Amino acid sequence: MANYFNTLPLREQLNQLGVAEFMDISEFADGVSALKGKKIVIVGCGAQGLNQGLNLRDSGLDVSYALRKEAIEQKRDSWKNATDNHFNVGTYEELIPTADLVSNLTPDKQHSSVIDAVMPLMKAGATLSYSHGFNIVEEGKEIRKDLTVVMIAPKCPGSEVRAEYLRGFGVPTLIAVHPENDPQGKGLAEAKAYCVGTGGHKAGVLRSSFVAEVKSDLMGEQTILCGLLQTGSILSFDKMIEKGIEPGYAAKLVQYGVEVITEALKQGGITAMMDRLSNIAKIKAFEVSEELKTIMRPLFQKHQDDIMSGEFSRGMMEDWANGDKKLLEWRAATGETAFEKTPAGDIKIGEQEYFDHAIFMVAYIKSGVELAFETMVEAGIKPESAYYESLHETPLIANTIARKKLFEMNRVISDTAEYGCYLFDHACKPLLADFMKTVDTDIIGRNFNDGKDLAVDNQALIVVNEAIRTHPVEQVGAVLRRAMTAMKAIKTA
Amino acid sequence: MTDPVVHIAQLNLQYAHGVVLDQLDWQLLPGECWLIGGKSGSGKSVFAKSVAGLEETSGTIRIKFDPLSLLPPRVLYVSNWYQFTNLEGNRNFYYQQRYNKQQKNDTLTIYAELAAYAKSENLSMGDLEQYLELFGFVDLKATQLIELSSGEHKKLQLIKALWLKPQLLIVDEPYTGLDKASRQKLNGFFDALAADGVHLVLVTNETGLPRCINRFAEIEGGKLRQVDSVQALSTDFNRIPRALPSFLREAPALSADIMVEMENIHVRYGEKTVLKGIDWTVRAGEKWLLQGHNGSGKSTLLSLITGDHPQAYANHIRLFGHRRGSGESIWEIKERIGIISPELHWYFDKTARVWQAVASGFYDSIGLFRQVSYEKQEQIDQLLDFFELTEDKNRLITTLPLGKQRLVLLARTIIKNPPLLILDEPCQGLDHTQTALFNAVVDELCGFGKTLIYVGHYETQLPSCLEKKIVLEKGEVRVIEEINELAY
Repeated sequence: MANYFNTLPLREQLNQLGVAEFMDISEFADGVSALKGKKIVIVGCGAQGLNQGLNLRDSGLDVSYALRKEAIEQKRDSWKNATDNHFNVGTYEELIPTADLVSNLTPDKQHSSVIDAVMPLMKAGATLSYSHGFNIVEEGKEIRKDLTVVMIAPKCPGSEVRAEYLRGFGVPTLIAVHPENDPQGKGLAEAKAYCVGTGGHKAGVLRSSFVAEVKSDLMGEQTILCGLLQTGSILSFDKMIEKGIEPGYAAKLVQYGVEVITEALKQGGITAMMDRLSNIAKIKAFEVSEELKTIMRPLFQKHQDDIMSGEFSRGMMEDWANGDKKLLEWRAATGETAFEKTPAGDIKIGEQEYFDHAIFMVAYIKSGVELAFETMVEAGIKPESAYYESLHETPLIANTIARKKLFEMNRVISDTAEYGCYLFDHACKPLLADFMKTVDTDIIGRNFNDGKDLAVDNQALIVVNEAIRTHPVEQVGAVLRRAMTAMKAIKTA
Repeated sequence: MTDPVVHIAQLNLQYAHGVVLDQLDWQLLPGECWLIGGKSGSGKSVFAKSVAGLEETSGTIRIKFDPLSLLPPRVLYVSNWYQFTNLEGNRNFYYQQRYNKQQKNDTLTIYAELAAYAKSENLSMGDLEQYLELFGFVDLKATQLIELSSGEHKKLQLIKALWLKPQLLIVDEPYTGLDKASRQKLNGFFDALAADGVHLVLVTNETGLPRCINRFAEIEGGKLRQVDSVQALSTDFNRIPRALPSFLREAPALSADIMVEMENIHVRYGEKTVLKGIDWTVRAGEKWLLQGHNGSGKSTLLSLITGDHPQAYANHIRLFGHRRGSGESIWEIKERIGIISPELHWYFDKTARVWQAVASGFYDSIGLFRQVSYEKQEQIDQLLDFFELTEDKNRLITTLPLGKQRLVLLARTIIKNPPLLILDEPCQGLDHTQTALFNAVVDELCGFGKTLIYVGHYETQLPSCLEKKIVLEKGEVRVIEEINELAY
């Protein structure tokens, strides 16, 4: 199979990368009617599969689960998930031929074999849906021409998809129709109905394309979301230990700090995050972030280039073929880092203290969000897509670190994200080695404001504020966040 | 003179809405066990938490433990109701989560939790059995924490406290959800603890206290005022009846004569049966009392009605004339039901303010995601006035006393004038006076063609409008009968 994106002429590449239209809630007025009475069969019953299915059923749709024969016979977790919740469960052979819409919610790695097994069984004119476009775009899977191919990608872990639905809201979602597979022109209507069924329409929906979703999703998760948070956590912790900060305090400051800091990011963008600092700390954080951006820009560009050329997925698929040798090795090594092994101390850290004592972390997150956003946009991805895959998701990932550090983050994210995260982390640490020598506890570990005159030069402050507020990620963010004002605050320890 | 066990001087605590504790002085001397009572909202729970070091106060709090005592030199505060965490220390649950089965053990079993507690506190598992028996936990050992009701969580905290025997034990509303016999037994344990040298502080207005209680006080004007007996404590003013807002005096539009019809209901998780062969019909306008011990299946039964339980799809249930699972959405069901439960309260949005929370009742959402029309805004204001909550309308719900918080949730659930009201232990954690007030309001609300299902315990006061009762026992219907007179 050839990489789908690479088979396209440049004109069409740019065309598909550039699909990003923020949809108004009025476009979802038809509710779930396009799928009402139709048979939805979900393949796979992990976190996304189960929770999307629970929501769709609670929205009045007909949902069953198709599992592999072995999963049913051995009563694996996916079988238990589906049967404990009283869904109809059957083999591919039993259920796929009856389906009007087959939703493939298995891990990326299994997509090719799942589609090979499912596609011949699907009835003519049915719809195949995904929550991630890797299989179509990177593996270049070609789907039978009579089938409609759509994507509904909730931008949250499965458990959140369920929790937000039940409180009467939803999670922001990308939807797309694959231009090679929309023979009846029904793709968009069905994708919208599916999105309503999961509750996504209440939280802001971005009309995207398979190509735009994959190329931005890969970039976001490798750099700012997972890679950068991993590197930042480890560097911050190691620096504090080197400088004699008590390990329990250092571990707690990092583990919960990323969540507290990015909560401000979620609610009011980089502006709100920076506004949590005193004026002198803000100016310092701004300077640090500018320096970090200069150092890290080539690395962000390399990641984006490898994603666009298909080099990244080629390397990762090679590792799949090799039984995940590299992935498992890197995962084990992460478990051995000092940060991972030091339990958070039983010390109370006030909410403001997480900012004042960690302005390096604030600066680092700012630099990562802006670099990821800038690099994506330069590569032809629309600002709306770039926003979702950078700033929007950062707090969600930070929340997993607060729960159980990097182990938890890497457990929750996909193997694809995890693989890319390690690539970034391994390249980023040596890149920052010289810079880190200049870092002291005034910007990580102790209160930056202590013993300082808090006065600032008006002009200097105005320039910094202006630079923060006029960054394009802030401008697009202000519009998109308006649709998500009701997103709840992630609880903090 | 002997040194006091607890010495508090000039204790101050201020919240955003005002002063709670004002230059408070108090001493607890050896051999003393105290009752702290008084009006709701006077600050008694806050004071109790402050003594345990759980509030940020200024002033002196000195606790002198007896170095010769064999009891752990600790202060333990048992809250009036509970939250717990999963294995990852995450509290980010939603209230229907215990019905949504996933094959990832997110929480410990009761037994594992208690075994871990024994290890960290150096306790003997042999002493535990008597407490498990008292609270009816013997059969629950293999149950996961997330499957417990809030009443059971509270009891689990009490079990731990009795087992630990700290030198200073503070229990907020100790009798919540306990029947008469269990209360007497609990008092026996309290007396035994006191005899062993535990200093006990109970926070409640209930009578029927353990014999060891020998000091009484209340919080008034931010200060602690000692009184002679329970009878001398101040009580809340009786509520002056007000007219129900006109939009709630209209009988709700009924879509069917039969609101709920359940036939041979079964709910199982693997080997464990929660409900077995339940038949139950609720007709429009009926007022039902639903009773049963902890773990008898009450909440599960109700969750089948409210659209919160996935196994509703595998059972024969008709709601408002429609067969469940025939293409309806849970939002169409919720639209017709007003619900309160301790779990809903527990998991309610911690950032919600009173007015917004009531407004969210129009949309059955936790959190307000829409603009509210002018007509609806007026209705919200009228209802807040009816509940005497107008002054509090901009406050965070979590900063109100528990009794008022429940009234806010009642207002939230009644605002859309639903045909069916489901009140699942709405008075859990409330004292006598608060319960009487709450139930009087329920009686007023139910006068206009509403159907009611009310869950209350054996010993608590109940609304007088109830006319039928269904009692569950181990997942089966034990009794369905008319109520002629409530003998409580």
